[in-house]
Amino acid sequence: MAAVIVSAVSCTEMDLPPKNTVTDDDLLSNQAGMSIYMATLYSKMPWEEFKYMAQWGINWNGWLASLGIEGTGEALDRDGVCTSFTNEDTPYWGRAFELLRNANHLIETLPSYRDNYAEVAYNEFLGQAYFVRAYVFYKMACRFGGIPLVTREIDYPADAETLEVPRSSERETWEQVLADFDMAVSLLPATPTFDGTANKFAALAFKAEAMLYAGSVAKYNENVSGRLTGVGAKTGVRVMGFAENEWQECSNKWFAEAYKAAREVMNSGKYSLYKKSWVKGDREAQYKNMVAMWQDLTSPENLLVKQYEYPTVTHGLDAYCSPFIFRAPLCSGSCPSLDFIELFDGFDRYDDGYTIRVTDGKDNASGNYLLFDSPMDLFANAEPRLRAYVIFPGDVYKKREIEVRGGIYTGPAPIKPLLKDYSYSAADTKYQHLDIYTGSNGASKTLFLSPNSGTNQETVTIDGVKMNAAGENGPFYNNGEGNLTGLYLRKYLNEDQPAEEIGEGKSDQPFILMRYADVLLAAAEAAVELSIAGVASPVEGDNMLQVATQAINDIRERAGAELLSGSLAGNNDSRDIVRKERRKELAFEHKTKWDLRRWRVLDEDNRDGFWGEQRDSKLYSSGTQFRFKGLYPFYSSETGKYFFDESYQWVSMKTFNYNVLDYYFAIPSGEVSKSKYIDQQPNR
Amino acid sequence: MKRNIFKISAIVAAIAAASSCSLFQLDNYDEPSETIKGKVVDVATGEPVLTDQGSEGIRVRMTELSYGDNVEHNPDFYCRPDGTFQNTKVFKGNYNVRVDGPFIPIVRETSDGTPIYDGSITTDVKGTTEVEFQVYPFLKVEIVGEPQVSGGVITANVKVQRAVSVEKFKELVEPMGGYSDDFTNVTDIQLFVGYSSSMGYRARDTRWSNAIEYGGNKFEASLGQEIPITSLGTIPSGRKVFIRAAARINYDTPRGSGTRRWNYSEVVEVNVP
Repeated sequence: MAAVIVSAVSCTEMDLPPKNTVTDDDLLSNQAGMSIYMATLYSKMPWEEFKYMAQWGINWNGWLASLGIEGTGEALDRDGVCTSFTNEDTPYWGRAFELLRNANHLIETLPSYRDNYAEVAYNEFLGQAYFVRAYVFYKMACRFGGIPLVTREIDYPADAETLEVPRSSERETWEQVLADFDMAVSLLPATPTFDGTANKFAALAFKAEAMLYAGSVAKYNENVSGRLTGVGAKTGVRVMGFAENEWQECSNKWFAEAYKAAREVMNSGKYSLYKKSWVKGDREAQYKNMVAMWQDLTSPENLLVKQYEYPTVTHGLDAYCSPFIFRAPLCSGSCPSLDFIELFDGFDRYDDGYTIRVTDGKDNASGNYLLFDSPMDLFANAEPRLRAYVIFPGDVYKKREIEVRGGIYTGPAPIKPLLKDYSYSAADTKYQHLDIYTGSNGASKTLFLSPNSGTNQETVTIDGVKMNAAGENGPFYNNGEGNLTGLYLRKYLNEDQPAEEIGEGKSDQPFILMRYADVLLAAAEAAVELSIAGVASPVEGDNMLQVATQAINDIRERAGAELLSGSLAGNNDSRDIVRKERRKELAFEHKTKWDLRRWRVLDEDNRDGFWGEQRDSKLYSSGTQFRFKGLYPFYSSETGKYFFDESYQWVSMKTFNYNVLDYYFAIPSGEVSKSKYIDQQPNR
Repeated sequence: MKRNIFKISAIVAAIAAASSCSLFQLDNYDEPSETIKGKVVDVATGEPVLTDQGSEGIRVRMTELSYGDNVEHNPDFYCRPDGTFQNTKVFKGNYNVRVDGPFIPIVRETSDGTPIYDGSITTDVKGTTEVEFQVYPFLKVEIVGEPQVSGGVITANVKVQRAVSVEKFKELVEPMGGYSDDFTNVTDIQLFVGYSSSMGYRARDTRWSNAIEYGGNKFEASLGQEIPITSLGTIPSGRKVFIRAAARINYDTPRGSGTRRWNYSEVVEVNVP
């Protein structure tokens, strides 16, 4: 009898929620709980910033954080992490579904708490969930094409039929991305409740970016050998690419969506390019303006920013990417390539139209070297934006002259190009192999180089004064920690941080995930693509090409670059102008690697378009492989002047490799083999 | 205290003993000791289809079928340069074997996945199992006559012919969908040069190897002609190198992989005086 009573009572009591578990009631019924939920969502977002490396994948690991080293030509690094973007150590799969579950839970459960919030706040929190889901689907689609569209919270445990979601077609996937971004846009307010979360305009801007990707792959898959499409072996669903009768319609629709979204941000008038210290005609001010904009959280250009705060939330960009003299404990992680700086204005060129002139001959392999009093003289007219992105040899950083010198040449002037052959096939022959360096084959030693820093420096005595062969920062031909290309990254490094405070986990400058320049470039690219396809403006009253021309000119004016001489047109030349501008403006922001991927310009057959503009890829490629160049200053002791040599990456030379297969990452094989539904890519 | 130590070490010993037992236990599978041997030959002539060993060559894909519906194929491997393949470490079982290379796909299906023709081989692999694939190679590539060497530069005369006619190609490939007359265009001929006797794309020395590219159908007139192609740079004198010619058409295999595979000539040894 007593036992019955006890058990009856305890049954009632046991039905209470446990006190030590955080429930929906705790989290979703009030704003304080919601701030925790939002923090959870945003901390799991697959952002690509200082805590992301293409090689690692999405695991929020900032080790070796460098910018632009994924075979995009922006920059080079000595380590194995400097490799083509063909897979990720942690494929973006499991973590994506975890975050999707969090977003779906909010979408399904928040309606029960509707009365706890004002309508605006309720809509916003729901909108955040849609934004997160849209972004996760988008970033998965970039990697895999069609993906399992998990748009509901799946109860567990359940049988396989309930739990398994097969991959949708690539078309359905992008349609879901579009629908979720549209939901987010309609629900999110102009000013979000929590700092660091998306507002309506950030959602629009990311929608534009996503739709640009979708429109591009639908169109440019057609250029790829094999048309890049196929149906899954298990489901028969077109999980990769588009059918012949659908790609054009898809491409047109998605470019139009990109255009509309970007225009809505522009027409809001809420954002503008950062020009706080910009002065018309003042190159110095323009350069400094573009250095300051990365650190200024009040910038009117920022739509969404990932913030850091020392000492609790930090990263290590300065520890990995500062010049060699600031080594702590690493350095030189992002050395921009010569090919990259050739995109910028302000240099004399050879007849090919892009190679920077360093000799008086017809190309860099002929004639005599041009001589300069100081290495900086070559950059006297360089575009201010380039100076804000790249530290030139001899420029000043952290109040120190950044001395970068390949070596000293003691022979007489005029000086002929050092290497016999500058072609791709001769790229393995480096300066230290030359007879004038080794003194072999009867040559007298006239070239001095340094294998390493400090006591390993070779020296030349000039007028009784000893001079180190290599600069303070290298390049040292046996040490990849020195400079690699003659150039250093400046963009995003924190110049104000004292040198002695550089260290791993000691940087806290913000990363701008989305900025207004990106929106302008999205509008311009979509406008030109739509014009090429002969589609009328999706925004009533817009002259699309005029909008595109204005967007490019606004960006160029701020950058101190030359303005367009006329209006953009609906053709591939204009498309390339926009692409090249995008490659320049958004360099070192984890954007270029996606752009090259969606333009489908990485494989052997389409690589002429690799640089945004058309360059004959046979000149920097061999089959599926390609390499990048450096710009190396040398001192001529006879003349007391400097000259530059342009050759393939001298130190730690990287050879990149890309195949058509790599445009869609493989689905993790474990996911395929354990499921009856998940298809591998049909072309693998 | 002393007793505790004794207890702990007893537990540690027990754990160690238990784990080592399972370590020495064998699983219930025989070691993979079966052998599969195969060759890929031209259906018309019976000659082997020459290739390069590497992922640009003829791919051999085996799938062990007893695993059920949801089977994943075994790790791929590639033919030898002479168009044969062999794997001596195969588990006993029932396999589907297919090859993909510079020949008309032996497994053909429409763009929505409907099978048209399946020339793959399903066989039990037990002891030594031999298979032969008779295929339609795209091209036949030859180095004609003795390569000439002068000043460290090799000149070879390369002859490229169609091994399958344009009509036959169209007949077999068009039903797969998305057909284009550009598919049969010869896009480039290659001269691979290097120190390795198994010369090919992978083993080539980029300092010396050369290529001639042809846009559209420009190569058409050169079919069956001897085309001289020279090596790049200067090969040091006194060296022995190996050369090989290759050519390919504007068609990737397997379809969708984007990899256009070359048909190869035999390897020729060249002494550079």
